Parts: sequence; structure tokens; C-alpha cells
Amino acid sequence: MKRLLAVYSWAILAFLYLPILVIVVLSFNKSRFGVSWTGFTLDWYARLFANERVLEYLANTLIVAVVSTAVSTVIGTLLAIGLVRYGFRLKRFLRYLLYVPVVVPDVVMGISLLLLFDTVRDTIGWPRLSLFTIILAHISFQVAYVTLVVRARLMLLDPALEEAARDLGATDWRTFLEVTLPLISPGVVSGALLAFSLSLDDFVVTFFTSGSGSTTLPLYIYGKVKTGITPDIHALSTLMVGATILILLLGLLFWRKGGTK
Amino acid sequence: MKRFLTKTAALVLLLPLLTACPKQQAAQELRIYNWSDYMPEEVIQDFEKRENAKIVLDTYDDPEAMISKLQAGGDSEYDLVILSDYLVGQLARRGTILELDKSKIPNLKNLDPNFADPAYDPGSKHSVVYQWGTTGLAYREDLVKGPVNSWAVLFDPAKSVGSFLLLTEMREQVGAALRYLGASVNTTDPVLLERAKQILIEAKRRSQGFAGGTDAVQQVLSGNVAVAVAYSGDAFRAMEENPKVKYVIPREGGTLWTDALTVLSKSKNADLAYKFINYLLEPEVAAKVSNGIGYGTPVAAALPMIEARDNPVIYPSAEVRSKLEFLGDLGPAADLYNKVWAEVRAQ
Amino acid sequence: MRESASPWQTLQRLLVTVGPGAFWLLVFVLVPSVLILIASLMSRGNFGQLVLPLGLHNYVRFFTEPLFWEIVGRSLWIGFWATVLTVLLGYPLAFYIAGHRHKQVLLLLVIIPFFTNFLIRVYAWIVLLQREGVVNAVITAFGLPSANLFPSTFAVYLATVYTYLPFFVLPLYAAVERIEWNQLEAAYDLGASPVRGFWEAILPQTLPGLLAGFLLTFIPAVGTFVIADLLGGGKITLIGNLIQQQFGAAQNWAFGAAVSMILMSLVLLGLWLYARAQGEKGLDELV
Repeated sequence: MKRLLAVYSWAILAFLYLPILVIVVLSFNKSRFGVSWTGFTLDWYARLFANERVLEYLANTLIVAVVSTAVSTVIGTLLAIGLVRYGFRLKRFLRYLLYVPVVVPDVVMGISLLLLFDTVRDTIGWPRLSLFTIILAHISFQVAYVTLVVRARLMLLDPALEEAARDLGATDWRTFLEVTLPLISPGVVSGALLAFSLSLDDFVVTFFTSGSGSTTLPLYIYGKVKTGITPDIHALSTLMVGATILILLLGLLFWRKGGTK
Repeated sequence: MKRFLTKTAALVLLLPLLTACPKQQAAQELRIYNWSDYMPEEVIQDFEKRENAKIVLDTYDDPEAMISKLQAGGDSEYDLVILSDYLVGQLARRGTILELDKSKIPNLKNLDPNFADPAYDPGSKHSVVYQWGTTGLAYREDLVKGPVNSWAVLFDPAKSVGSFLLLTEMREQVGAALRYLGASVNTTDPVLLERAKQILIEAKRRSQGFAGGTDAVQQVLSGNVAVAVAYSGDAFRAMEENPKVKYVIPREGGTLWTDALTVLSKSKNADLAYKFINYLLEPEVAAKVSNGIGYGTPVAAALPMIEARDNPVIYPSAEVRSKLEFLGDLGPAADLYNKVWAEVRAQ
Repeated sequence: MRESASPWQTLQRLLVTVGPGAFWLLVFVLVPSVLILIASLMSRGNFGQLVLPLGLHNYVRFFTEPLFWEIVGRSLWIGFWATVLTVLLGYPLAFYIAGHRHKQVLLLLVIIPFFTNFLIRVYAWIVLLQREGVVNAVITAFGLPSANLFPSTFAVYLATVYTYLPFFVLPLYAAVERIEWNQLEAAYDLGASPVRGFWEAILPQTLPGLLAGFLLTFIPAVGTFVIADLLGGGKITLIGNLIQQQFGAAQNWAFGAAVSMILMSLVLLGLWLYARAQGEKGLDELV
């Protein structure tokens, strides 16, 4: 029985990696079509690096991810603190509102934001769909995730610690900086990492809120898939997968060294 | 410490505004919205060098989706849009595209008279022809089980010769169905349109799905399908790569289309757009375009420089041309087609 | 003696902490939702844009044309079975990992695909399943005729399960880790068979995680459009595709908004049912 479980599980893990491995292998394949191996080549990678537009898309993707993560982490952390530590009238409503970006299907989120930007533009002539609108859109779902993660962490904290600090005369700010923040930092960091990866990966919401000159890597890949898959996309994908693994491993190392789980 | 953090927090919150600073379109930046794979890189780069400008190119493979995007605010994001002839009238009426300032396009005189005064845009008031071509069937002669000479290979289960793809472009695909039924591609007869809808839905079921022009030909080239509805230029380039790829205009007839250069009313750089149009009308440049993407040129003086000028795929014989129709501007009747297509796609 | 905060101070605290977040949620979540609601009541202008008059015609159209019922049905059907398959694959996997010596490594192995770009993971299946793809290359090597696997509903199922499997395994794993195995031992002591033991002692403990995972997979699976778009060849239309088409080629924003409202209602219904079953705490755990 245990044997069966083991075989079954490894088969599933293999299944999870098979498509990725196929792409990696094909990125080095000479032939442009078909999957029979016709020889090893780095041509596709060369073509990729020679393609200035791709580098621009990479830059766009990173700019969006970094900016949106930074903003949403700040907003989300603050919101989490507010929700846990204080009681106020609209609290329940706000909490429900918080769930919306998490459960709503991307398509709906995407078009709702498109409608928002369009309506605003019709009224005051700004903003154009651009990296700016994509960032605004990303923050909108990231805030929810960050808040929920930090909140979970915060709820485990004994408020007595903060009260003690305040009894000793510390101001709100100081309490936050020297007591609360260090204690919730694992939560903040996880929230930020989650937000970052959500942004890097996002396709649907970006699809609806992007304009000319604001193409990100996922949008580029989608466009290429629709006009015919060629191996330079495989090269790009391989690099992206490689980067993901690297970041994860780094994160893990950092986590292990940093200490507490 | 506290002050530092407050400042950092405030800065972080203001970060997005930095990206919002409307990137003032560099005085010399031209934003083009074009069909995918429809302009040789060399042509773009030569213009960039010549005018010390930067060209930002976005592409589409479905004209209806493109119109939708222009509708959704896209019309303030581009300067030049290359679009199908039958859409020019619509956009001109809506005021989305400019009435062209001919004084800024002296090279208009290079246009072959056949293209200088097209039916869909008399006097070339709003558009200038970029390229022209036909839509037919691209296929692999080594993968099909029979002759490919009729739209029946799509629409008649009994005459199928292999797996096939349908085209994402509404007017062309519905047009193919209408020609198969013996009707005009511009008909507004609801009975005929209903029949077309039925055979399209039925064909969709048996097909390998929908694909844009570029994708369709790639699939034929790679052997994933045997037959696809495709554009002449794409098929021509595929034929150069693999001689087993063939292109035919079905005996019931097809379409002769032109794609036209238009300038958006909300363009911020109309002058640069005019320069670009003028540039494309130079015979050497026009030849480079046609040689690069494989379609027909409207610039008469470019013909001697075009490698494919004797190739019937790109320059069909008069006999074939007699079976071809232009896709016309349907005006309000466009809605009939939209409904049919929406249902075909949604089934 | 600790003084309670002055009202001014409390207000200050609230503004700083809740202020930005509340503002963001109101402007970028609430307002857009209201806009969709209003848009769903508007009409389609000549060029697809939103115009007055207001009315329920979009909803009427949706509920009276059988085509749309078909689409909803298809989405729910595919979503449901894809999720069931995900459960069948993910449930045993979670147990295996929890009981393994190197569970951290295995967990990492599951997390890596989770963080890999979604589009890459989806288009990879095109490469595998197309006529001239890897699977057929293997099949034909054995002398069998090549199969028509793409585009197809099968491909959509496959890609959906593949995409959401890590989403399912991770929360489930959390639940499995917390299982109290002594309950199972107690069951054995009482003479229960392994199957019965599992059913009565283990399954109930994992039920919250299982339901959470199920919901976390089912909802996105129903609302997805990319997978059906890329792997269905444009032949498979789910609710997500229908909405996307309205804002794309079909040019009917008002109708698209209405369909979105309907999809949202389905999702909220599912959540409400879940909250009823699990309580509000369950809702928190869900995330």
C-alpha cells in the first residue's frame, strides 16, 4: 500500500515537471518545428538576446512587480494592523471587501478595472492605459493578499507586548517600529514575496489594463503563442523558469539563515 | 529613524506616480498598430535611422478585436493604424481617423491608379493602400487526401481532405461561407447569413479550431493541420520554406483585400505619421516591404524590383481575379454579421 | 495607570493604518464593481460601447438564450470534474509528502511549478499535445496512429488539472500535517478495518482543508479563459471566454458586464455556501 502511494506520488511529481522539461529541452533543439531532436544549438537564445523588444518587456515586468509590491506591502501591512488592533464601524464591510480580489475570477477583475480607467479617462482625460494603470491594477489584488497574510501573523501576537511598550511611554510609531514590525516581519516578508510573484505571473488583469508600449513578458508570450510557437519562446521560458528556481532557492537559503519559521 | 521611515513610506506610496508621469511621447516617436508579422524589421529600422525617430510597434491578429481596442481608448495610444479596407469607412464616419493632409504625402503620385481611388475610400481621403492580397486555402500537398480546389473542404463533410483551421477574421471567414453558398461576401440577406452561420458552426465542430493568419500558416508549415484558411503573403513565405505548402483560391471565388494606412485623429505625432506614409510610398521601400512580407504592392514603380512579380500566388491572373470580390463597408448591416459571428464563436 | 487614547489619537491611528488600504479598496475594488453593475444595465451602442437606456435586457438575453445556459453548464461541468481529478491526484500526494522523511524537499518540488509562470505551463501542453507534438511522437514510435489531442476538451481538462494541482496540494498539505494519527490508532483498537479507519478517523480531520482546496481550485477553474482559449482552439467557450469576447471581437461591453455579474454571483453563492458549512473562521482559513 505504501509502495503504491510512493509510485503514485512520484508519477504525479513527474507529471508536474514533464511539460517544463520538454520546453527546456526544445529550447536547445535545432529544428523550428516538430519535436524530433535535430541537434543542439544556442541560436534561439542568441535570437532572444538580440531582440531588444524582449529586454524592454522584461524591464516592464520587473518595474511593475517591484513598484506594485513595494506599495501594496506598505498599504497591506498598515491595513492589517488597523483591522486587528482597532474596532471601527466599517470593519466588517472592509473585511468582506478584502476577500473580493482574492476570490473574484481574473477576467472580472480585469474588466472592472478597465471600466474604471475608461470612465475616469472619459471624465478627466487621464490616465492612458500604461505601466501606471497596470501597477494600479496589480496593487489592487496584492493589497488583499498582503493584508490577509500579515493579519494572520498579527493575530498570533499577544497584544500585551504592544501595550507594555506603550505603558513605558513609547509613541505609536516607536511601538510599531521596535515591537510590532520585528514580530510580524516574517508575515510581511511572505506577503511581499507572494505579492511579487503574483505580479510577475499575472496575465489576465494585465491583459485588460495595458496599453501600447506597456507589454509585459506574460503578454508577450501569449501574443507569440497565438501567432505560432517558435523555439525562441522556449528559450525565454527556460530562462524564466531558471530565474524562478534561483529566486526560490535564494529565498529558502535566506529563510534558513534568517531564523525563525 | 522614525522620520527616515516615514519619509520612505511616503515615497513608496508615491512611487506609482512616477510611472504615471505621462511619458511625454518623445517628440520623435511613432506608434504603429499593425497586423502581426506585417512589416519587415529592416524597413522600420531604416526609417528610424533616417528620421532619428523611434517606432513602437504593436500587433493584432483579429481586426474586430483591434477595433474594440481602439474603441476602449486605444485610439489615443497610436499614431498610425494599418487596417483592412472594409473598416476604413466605419472609422472615418466615427471620426477616429483623420482626413489626410495630402500636401504632406507628395509620394501619393507613386500609387498605381487602381489603388489611388478605391471604392471603399474615394480619392484616398482617409487612407493610403499599404499592401494588398487575397485570402484562400493554404495546404500541405503531402498531408491532404484529395484535391484542394473548393471551400467544400471546409464546409462539406463528404469532401473533407484532412484536418483544417478556420480563420479568426470575421469578414473573411463568413465571406468564405457565403461564397461557398454562391452568394456575395457583402450580402445583407438574413436568410443567406443564417445558412452561412449554420455551415460555419458545423464546420467549426469538425475543425481544429480558429487561428489568426500567421498562426494558421505556421500550423500548416509544421504539419499540425493539413489545410487552413490563410492570406496569400503568409502562404507565399511558407511555400518558400517548404515547397510542399501550396496555396489556392477556391473555384467558388474569394476576396481581394487591401490593407490601408490611416492616421488616428488623436495622434500626437501626425506629422511623423505622414512622413512614414510618404516613406512607404517610395518605390525602393515599397519593394522592400513586399519582398519582405510577400504581399502585393500598390506602388507601380516598385514592381520591377519585386521578386515575386510573376508568382500567381501574389499576383493572380486576370482569370482568377475575376472571381474575387472586394470586402465592402457594410455600414449598419455590419451588425448582422457581428451577430452571426458572435454565435459561431460562442457555440 | 494607562490612559485610554483620546478620540483624536484614535482617529489618527485609524487614518494612518486603515486609511490607505480602505481608500485603495474602495476606489479600486468597490467602485469598479459598481461600474460593472451599472454597465450591465446599459445598452450597446453602434460600435459596442456603453450607452443609455438602462434596462435588464442583457440579463434577459442571457437567461432566455439556450446557448448561454450551455456555456454556464459547460463551465461548471468542466470546472467540477477538473477539480475532482485534481483532488484525486493531490490528496494522496499530500499524504505522501507529510509522511516522508524529506518533506521539505518534496514540498519545494511542488512549489516550484506553482511559482513558474502560468502561461509557460499552459502553452507547454500545446507543444506536448499538438499533432506534431511530443506525445504523438512517442505514440507513433510505437507504431500507433497519431491521436488528435489538441485542440480538445481533453486538453483543457489536462491543462486545468495541471495548473491548479499545486494550488490544491499546498493548503491540503497544511491540513494533513496537523492530523492526529492517534485517532486512527484508536479506531484500529476498536476493530475498524483500514478503510473504515481512514473514512471515520482521517478524512473528517482533513475535510476543512479538502473543502478549502476544492473551492480554491473550482472557482478559478470555472472562471478561467486562458486555458480554454489556448488549448480549446477557439472551439471551447466557457464563461470566461464569453466575457473576454464581449470586450474583444464581439464588441458588446454591456452584455459582457452582465455575464460578469452572473459569474460573480455564482462565485459568491459558492462562497456563501462554504461559509455556511464552515463558519466565518473557515472563510479566513480559506485564504
